[in-house]
Amino acid sequence: MTDAIVKLTDVGKTFWRGTEAIKVLDGLTLDVADGAFHALMGPSGSGKSTLLNLIAGLDKSTAGTVQVAGQNLSQMNDGSLADFRARNIGFIFQSYNLMPVLTAAENVELPLLLTKLSSAERKKRAITALRVVGLEDRTGHFPRQLSGGQEQRVAIARAIVNDPKILVADEPTGDLDRKSADDILNLLVRLNTEFKKTIVMVTHDPEAAERATTTLHLNKGALIEQRTKGAA
Amino acid sequence: MVPISYNLRSLTHRKATTFATAFGITLVVFVFAASAMLTDGIKTTLGKSGSEDIAIVIRDGSDAELSSSLDQPNVGIILSSADVKRRADGQPDGVGEIVAVLALDKIGTEGVSNVQVRGVASASYAFRPTIHIVQGRQARDGAEEAVVGRAIAGRFRGLALGQSFEIKKNRHITVVGIMEDRGSSFESEVWTDIETVRSAFGREALVSSVRARLRSASAYPAFERALKSNRQLGVEVMRETDYYARQSEGTGTLISVMGNMIAFFFSLGAMIGAMITMYAAVSNRSREIGTLRALGFSKMSILFAFLLEALMLSLLGGIVGVLASLAMNGTGFSMMNLASWSEITFTFHWTPQIAMSSLIFAAVMGLFGGLFPAIRAARVNVLQALRS
Amino acid sequence: MNLVSLAARNVLRNKFRTTLTVLGVAVALLAFILLRTVLSAWNAAADYAAKDRIATRHKVTFIMTVPKRYVDTIRQVPGVSAVSYFNWFGAKYERMPNEFFGSMACDPRTMFDVYDDVRISEAEKQAFIADRQGAIVGDVLARKMNWHAGDTVTLKGTIFPGNWTFHIVGVYTAASRAVDRSTFFFQWDYLNESLPPGRRDQVGWIMSRVDNATQAAAVSQRIDRIFDIQDVQTLSMSERALNVSFLAGFSAILQALNVISVVILLILLLVLGNTIAMGVRERTNEYGVLRALGFMPKHVRLFIYGEAITLGAIAGTLGAGIGFAFVNFAFGPWLEENMGAMFPYFRVPAEVLIAAFVFAVLLGILAAIIPATRAARLTVTDALRRID
Ligand SMILES: Nc1ncnc2c1ncn2[C@@H]1O[C@H](COP(=O)(O)OP(=O)(O)OP(=O)(O)O)[C@@H](O)[C@H]1O
Ligand SMILES: [Mg+2]
Repeated sequence: MTDAIVKLTDVGKTFWRGTEAIKVLDGLTLDVADGAFHALMGPSGSGKSTLLNLIAGLDKSTAGTVQVAGQNLSQMNDGSLADFRARNIGFIFQSYNLMPVLTAAENVELPLLLTKLSSAERKKRAITALRVVGLEDRTGHFPRQLSGGQEQRVAIARAIVNDPKILVADEPTGDLDRKSADDILNLLVRLNTEFKKTIVMVTHDPEAAERATTTLHLNKGALIEQRTKGAA
Repeated sequence: MVPISYNLRSLTHRKATTFATAFGITLVVFVFAASAMLTDGIKTTLGKSGSEDIAIVIRDGSDAELSSSLDQPNVGIILSSADVKRRADGQPDGVGEIVAVLALDKIGTEGVSNVQVRGVASASYAFRPTIHIVQGRQARDGAEEAVVGRAIAGRFRGLALGQSFEIKKNRHITVVGIMEDRGSSFESEVWTDIETVRSAFGREALVSSVRARLRSASAYPAFERALKSNRQLGVEVMRETDYYARQSEGTGTLISVMGNMIAFFFSLGAMIGAMITMYAAVSNRSREIGTLRALGFSKMSILFAFLLEALMLSLLGGIVGVLASLAMNGTGFSMMNLASWSEITFTFHWTPQIAMSSLIFAAVMGLFGGLFPAIRAARVNVLQALRS
Repeated sequence: MNLVSLAARNVLRNKFRTTLTVLGVAVALLAFILLRTVLSAWNAAADYAAKDRIATRHKVTFIMTVPKRYVDTIRQVPGVSAVSYFNWFGAKYERMPNEFFGSMACDPRTMFDVYDDVRISEAEKQAFIADRQGAIVGDVLARKMNWHAGDTVTLKGTIFPGNWTFHIVGVYTAASRAVDRSTFFFQWDYLNESLPPGRRDQVGWIMSRVDNATQAAAVSQRIDRIFDIQDVQTLSMSERALNVSFLAGFSAILQALNVISVVILLILLLVLGNTIAMGVRERTNEYGVLRALGFMPKHVRLFIYGEAITLGAIAGTLGAGIGFAFVNFAFGPWLEENMGAMFPYFRVPAEVLIAAFVFAVLLGILAAIIPATRAARLTVTDALRRID
């Protein structure tokens, strides 16, 4: 087995609402191997998004250690976390979250603004990423001129444009019909197999989970079941 | 109808926005009210100087006492009219006075400023029963003494009680009293002996004006006709109230034109501010509006609810603005009176009418600002709003 | 594409609100520009007043005259290069009694040596000198009254009673902003000869030109010292000092206008702040996305400031443009025509336009401070969760 690219040890996350503590995650341990495609399932409110945010470096754990791509996120400040995200993480949201005022190509180019690349180079890479998701003919379209599935593919292009090692996706097909959802899942599978991206995907859809190599079940803040394809 | 508490809650929900909008209206209403108060103050200051039953006579063709001069013998002729009231001693109740302007050092500035000087006799004090000496005493006839109006006392070099000023080289006049007259323009004058003024200004045997108290206010037309028909006299006759109304015209118009222009632009700005806020409120709450409509509230009641909200917003600002303007009441505002080129102190004058019209002004701003957003709210498509 | 251009595009996102905001700010800027122009036009009388001209008048009051022989005395004073003299006349044109204009008696032979900024053709000047009843008028007044060279007009004197007939022989214009183009000048000799012998040979004030403007104060003192031992003492000061002291009479108004122009900026801040805060609130989720992509709080701040600057710049350009057009092409010419005595030159100074624009941008930045700080302080997850 290859090294774990994501390594969570005894991770806890407690939210405070006033004086009331909401323990969402408690003593959670998880290894994600480099090149894996994990689906994360579980009832609403079980802490899936919370867990994903910890992996993506969007939030910090309140206990335990979170190691991603060889870096200990628990010890990083906000600035280095942002830098970490820019280099290592591609984020895919349920509601696409594209900038409505930017074209598809510009949306994809957005993360590259944080790099020192020239404008021409940025554009080139954005087009390349759009070609990967099959939207090279839609570069000049604005989000409102695209279908939901196309919007999500633009969002995926944005997630991969700076060539991160890990993609995290929070219910990427949640707002889509079956056909579009399948297209997105095919794309994710391709990114996993062809481009060797490690993927952690939260989903409520068993069919979507089927496409991942491993399915994790989260319940009441703990991982209660792991099922790996072929190993079941 | 949508309950009022709904609007109130939504106003308190977005505190910052509500505050910003209402405060903008506060500023506008304050400026509006303050300029109305000043215009009113100018009218009252000069208005109080005149009374209905007094006629003022100046030389034909001159605009004001300052540019007028009449020969002393004419005073007797004018006052001999049967329309003039008699005093207890049987003499006609009237005065001939001379008005001049004196340049004095204004304290707190580098330059000189003009002060109106009135050459009077003791009859002048008796003629105006509203004038009171609040400090010191009345000047004696024929003495080199002066009484100074409260509004300018102490504001020019030599014009404080006990001090003296030069009316001509080496002729010093001592201030022996300070007078008060309900804030009228006399409070911005220096009164000294008529002969002193005549000799100092080389106006021997002249007066600027003659004032006569008439038997009644209605005796005026006859009095005017009699004097005007006397071509020899060559005089202009006016009711004192009309005279002062005319004196206040230039300055009053200047202030009110400026004030209204400013208020106009301000109100446009504030109206647009209210509109922005109300549009945002409508678009943020389109779901709520859809729900209300689905619950059975009519378009009209939605329109009404949003208008009401805009009205509450603007009245909130308006009330604060009016309260703030109340603080200006009685504050002095001294400037050059365009009619006499002399300093005169006006006071901001608060009246319930001004408060009322300021509030109406605020309400109108709110209603205009809220109208289009409210129409948009009423037009919200129920199904779309619920789906969004 | 860059972050700033993204911010700029966001401004145009809610076109309707942006339009309203820009309009609101533009209106406020227009009012600001108007007020500042009033202030600068008012001060122009002092700013552009000649420093090398000295006015000498009766020490005590402007309503009294000085002997004409003083003119010759002053001509001998070292440092004085030219001397002329004037008398305030005060007149009404019977056909248009409500149009106020300044009228004065002058000496046409010497006047233009002292007032080299009054422009008139040599032929008209000679005609003025030759005709005892001749008069010249400013071009603005000529247009308003529809007077032309060759007309005979009859004026009614307010200080010097009677009907006075003049021949208009020329129309003058101005080479400096301090010259009132609405004055009526006629020959002093004509006035003097019409007076009773006892009142002859008196002048209202004497204007002299000094070789060296820096010597104006010293020459003024020298003049006053000469007459100090005479019957009639004088008060001399440079035209500039004279205008400054005149303006001091309106200092309260000027101060009020000053304060109000600051209040406008405050209203502007509120309108801008409100819009920016609303935009930021609506876009919080997007800032969360940016942060998730690896952008830092400083980027979010930059982004919001970028929006605010764009908004301020658009509004500033529009407001300054409208203000410029409105004042310079509509309001200014109208005011010069109708209130030329007070505002001989009413145009927006360039620095006011620049200030209006800069203020719009600066206030945009100021208005963005709180929303930007708040948005940058939000944690990524909080920003992403915020949907309202
Ligand atoms: N910032 C926060 N403050 C307080 N409580 C929070 C916060 N974020 C999440 N929670 C709570 O943590 C729990 C888990 O939330 P999370 O969003 O991770 O659930 P989830 O598994 O993603 O649910 P869903 O499937 O509905 O998206 C919920 O009870 C939620 O209310
Ligand atoms: Mg979730």
